[in-house]
Amino acid sequence: MLGACLPPTDPIPSVSVYREVMRAELLRGHLEGLLLAVLADQPGHGYALTQRLAERSGGELAVPEGSLYPALQRLERRGWVASSWEVVDGRRRRVYEMAPAGRRAGSGAALEWQRFAAVVDQVMGSLA
Amino acid sequence: MNAVEQFLTQLQGQLRVRGAARRRVLRECRDHLEDAAAQVGPQEAVRRFGAPDALAAAFDIEVAAGRTQRSTAAACVGVLAVAASTLALVNGASAGASAVPLWAVVFFAAAQTAAVSAVLAAVQAAGMRHAPAAPADMALLCRRNAAALMFAALTLFAAGAAVPGQGGAVSLLAGPTAAGLAIIAVLRTRSLVRRLPSGRSRVRRLPLTDVAAILAPSTPNMAHRTLLLPSTLLATASAFVWDHTDGGTATSSLTSASIEAALVIAGYLALGPALGLRPSRHGRRPGAEPV
Repeated sequence: MLGACLPPTDPIPSVSVYREVMRAELLRGHLEGLLLAVLADQPGHGYALTQRLAERSGGELAVPEGSLYPALQRLERRGWVASSWEVVDGRRRRVYEMAPAGRRAGSGAALEWQRFAAVVDQVMGSLA
Repeated sequence: MNAVEQFLTQLQGQLRVRGAARRRVLRECRDHLEDAAAQVGPQEAVRRFGAPDALAAAFDIEVAAGRTQRSTAAACVGVLAVAASTLALVNGASAGASAVPLWAVVFFAAAQTAAVSAVLAAVQAAGMRHAPAAPADMALLCRRNAAALMFAALTLFAAGAAVPGQGGAVSLLAGPTAAGLAIIAVLRTRSLVRRLPSGRSRVRRLPLTDVAAILAPSTPNMAHRTLLLPSTLLATASAFVWDHTDGGTATSSLTSASIEAALVIAGYLALGPALGLRPSRHGRRPGAEPV
């Protein structure tokens, strides 16, 4: 009877912690690939890209939004992305769009992720 | 002052980059935070944006990396332009003029040092293009660029001193002009890099490390000593063959080869730490590979 009054507990309390840690590490390693993926649809300014990323991931991928900008500058330095000042909704914004080299890099990043995911699945599949 | 303004003030205080790049960073962050604040409120917008100090550090590194790449390109153009001006000067030498020996030696030593520094810088820049950039490595690249430009300028000066002559103003001034613009870009980059954490550290970075990063991961990473020996032998043999095919006697060719070998070794000992080819006694970066 006392047990019925207590709030329900997570049977495996470490799962949520593990999920947060893994998510943060994966985001750090694949942020550029994720940015190329959301830029593949259409150009956009930083805030729009953040919204697109959150929308496509169903809110599961929550990066510190500011970290997108150094990553975008890195992509620009490599020639995978180009940017320019444009007027969007009456305001002057820095708009990013994917360059041809970025499309190739994005495909490469997607393939690399698929290989990585397949290997991890192979090793960890027995734990699930 | 609301949370967004407070955040931007903190970010401004943390950013080390100056000029147009700084204005762009602050403008983009302000635009983003204003959009986010309109949706979720200023406090939540700032919380989602991240810590200002970490963000400023990331921005500084990215701007410095971009400037380092561009200043390396400018340095390579500057060195090539000075080489062209030097050739124009040498071709304009008075008929029958013979080179002053000391200046001739300075000329060849400076030309080779400029070429080696420029190649090291170009290869390093190519190797760093797709890799995370560390401030100590960017500082090394700035030193290599500066060495290439300075020795290129010395080459031009030595050529003029060795074989005085005349030439067209455009062809003679194009090189120094390009080199002058390049050195401004290099110094500006160096100024930013030195303000970054560990931007004043000295590191060793072997050229084959960058070649491996560009071409294939399986390229052997040879120790610095094995690079010195084949380089010295190659330079010595080249000097011998050059002098011999130029009509020199065996004795004069051997003398040229010996001078070349001595200059290569002296250059390695004197400039090796600055160019990241051998470890220096001071300012080793914490965690750098032991030698």
